[in-house]
Amino acid sequence: MVKALLKVSDVTKSFGDVTALSSVTVNFHAGEVVGLVGGNGAGKTTLLRLLCGLYQPTSGTVQGVVDEQPVDIHRMREHVGVVPEATGLYARLTAWENIRYHSRLNGIGDDMAWTRTERFAKLLNFDHDLHRSTRGFSRGMRQKTALLRALSHGPEILLLDEPTGGLDVTSARTVRKLVRKLGDEGGTVIYSTHNLGEAQQVCDRIIIIHNGTIRAEGSPQELMAAAQRDDLEEAYVALTEDVARTDTPPEDEGKIARAWRRMLTRGGGSIE
Amino acid sequence: MGVVRLSDARKQLSRIIIVAKKELVDFVRDWRTVLAMILVPLLIFPAIFIALPLFLQGEAAELSSYELTVEVQGELPEDLSSHLDGRNLIIIQTELLVDGTLSEPGIDSQRLNSGDSGDVIHAILRLLEIDSNASQSWNYAILSDSTDELSLEAKIRTLDAVLTWEADVINATLAQNNLTHDEAFDPIHWDGDQDTADVASGGDLAAMGLAMFIPLVVAMWTTTAAIQPSIDLTAGERERGTMEALLCTPTSRSALLFGKWLAVATVACVSVLGQMAGLLFAINFLMGGGLEAPNISTTGVLLLLLSVILFAIFVVAIELAVAVRAHSVREAGSILGPMVLIFIGPTLFAQFVNLQGIEAWWFVLPVFNITLAMREALMGIYDPVHIFMWVSTSLAYAIGAILWASKQFNREDLVESLS
Repeated sequence: MVKALLKVSDVTKSFGDVTALSSVTVNFHAGEVVGLVGGNGAGKTTLLRLLCGLYQPTSGTVQGVVDEQPVDIHRMREHVGVVPEATGLYARLTAWENIRYHSRLNGIGDDMAWTRTERFAKLLNFDHDLHRSTRGFSRGMRQKTALLRALSHGPEILLLDEPTGGLDVTSARTVRKLVRKLGDEGGTVIYSTHNLGEAQQVCDRIIIIHNGTIRAEGSPQELMAAAQRDDLEEAYVALTEDVARTDTPPEDEGKIARAWRRMLTRGGGSIE
Repeated sequence: MGVVRLSDARKQLSRIIIVAKKELVDFVRDWRTVLAMILVPLLIFPAIFIALPLFLQGEAAELSSYELTVEVQGELPEDLSSHLDGRNLIIIQTELLVDGTLSEPGIDSQRLNSGDSGDVIHAILRLLEIDSNASQSWNYAILSDSTDELSLEAKIRTLDAVLTWEADVINATLAQNNLTHDEAFDPIHWDGDQDTADVASGGDLAAMGLAMFIPLVVAMWTTTAAIQPSIDLTAGERERGTMEALLCTPTSRSALLFGKWLAVATVACVSVLGQMAGLLFAINFLMGGGLEAPNISTTGVLLLLLSVILFAIFVVAIELAVAVRAHSVREAGSILGPMVLIFIGPTLFAQFVNLQGIEAWWFVLPVFNITLAMREALMGIYDPVHIFMWVSTSLAYAIGAILWASKQFNREDLVESLS
């Protein structure tokens, strides 16, 4: 099996005037479940998008390592499965057709994809819904479909952006159990969440991101020791004491669009 | 190395086909879109050319069944009276009391405009006999309200009777002078059938007729048919959040773009073919099934197809690029809707450019060049300079449009989802 890991070296990512991530250095090792924990706009999604090559760093490098050889992050995609926050399912296709479409794009035959999908679907108690149209799926069913889609090509690394956000207790628990199982089987899972308790329960290592920088990383025990607190939540608060920024990175708008927006909003406020 | 590259190329091609197939399946499963994109264009020309005339005939028949009232002011000659008979008119005779010309309505204006449902008068015919050398000579005017359908109908029926009466008066005057109508009004006349004198074959005429329609249909329907799928596959994917997951696959963005382009172009081409089939059926129906097959050589057909393909590449790429830049379906629609005019305007204009002695630079201008190329192909004009110019420039425009679309598809903010 190909051993793969990801290396983020001194990465800064800016969107116009806003710096979403600043001088971030972190490595992700094979076989660990890593939690990216932080508030809204902390930079978790930006980091995940850098890890799957959707964003280019403004400075620094993001690299994959396959067979101990550094590879471009785009060439890592065959080894990575991604579940974005917006699950992104096609409503006119069935769950299986959504999964099959992505596995085909990953170069995996339908039989192999089906075998993998069926196995994980049983673990998620979702095997009876695979041939249903995704239109009208609940948030939990959508999340399960997206998870199966990300797993169908047998990735070594799974990137999950808020996978339990908006899920009911049972669905969230099922997803957490699956993530833990993948970690126990030697898979690498990078998992962004707001929920510290969940991170503590599932992750081997937690990375606290705040205002675009990594404030601390380590096991829950290491984080509590670093903050000299007995409780992880207390430790998190102590490590992120400064006020969280409220501005989210704007889209990469063009010069004319930016000038037009500024003219109408007089410096970025709302149109009065 | 060469083998690796070939394998990579094959992989990319396979992914382009996977994307295109999925988009087409997605498209076909939405019956409303299929209805709008395939069935409507197939039916639109038969509806315009067949159903509309039938409908208008029915409306005209309905209007002619109304009994309308016409007031005749002044003396009503017996000859005219006989012509007014049988036109479903109630004639009321009154005295002529006019100061100015007969056309000035005066107080009669209120009587026609009253909208009173009682003793309504739909039109007023004013008649005044004057002295002349003719057998009879009259001044007349018909007062009516052009915004009132019944008043207008009354005017038409009355005018028809007056003109028939006038022809009788002319013929009577000519007869008094021992002349026939043709001797007086058609002393130099065409002998035989004018159509027989035209050496163009039925096939040539059919090709010329198509040259008037096809470029416009191709331009109009390619641009309009591509809008909805272009938006759905780009801004729609962004809005629904499916784009991010798609971009995370190992498929290159250019392969994704080409797959989407292929799907949109297929939909647009099927729509255009449907509309052409509908158009030909409607024309054939109107000509009573007597439409001859147009005389177009194989070269002409190939050039026509090439021009349509290059135009489709160009248009679909531009629409995809514009739709990719939009942040929402609504924004894309509001930009692409009016943009259609940018393509249709030049096409309409180019329809009226004389092909005889046409300057070569016309074949360089975008959109104009394709329209003129289609016209020349249908008319059997194969000028090597023109062909070289429109093929090379269209190819350049198509490549430019694809590169622009590709650049837009590589934008980082493509992963942003408004939802």
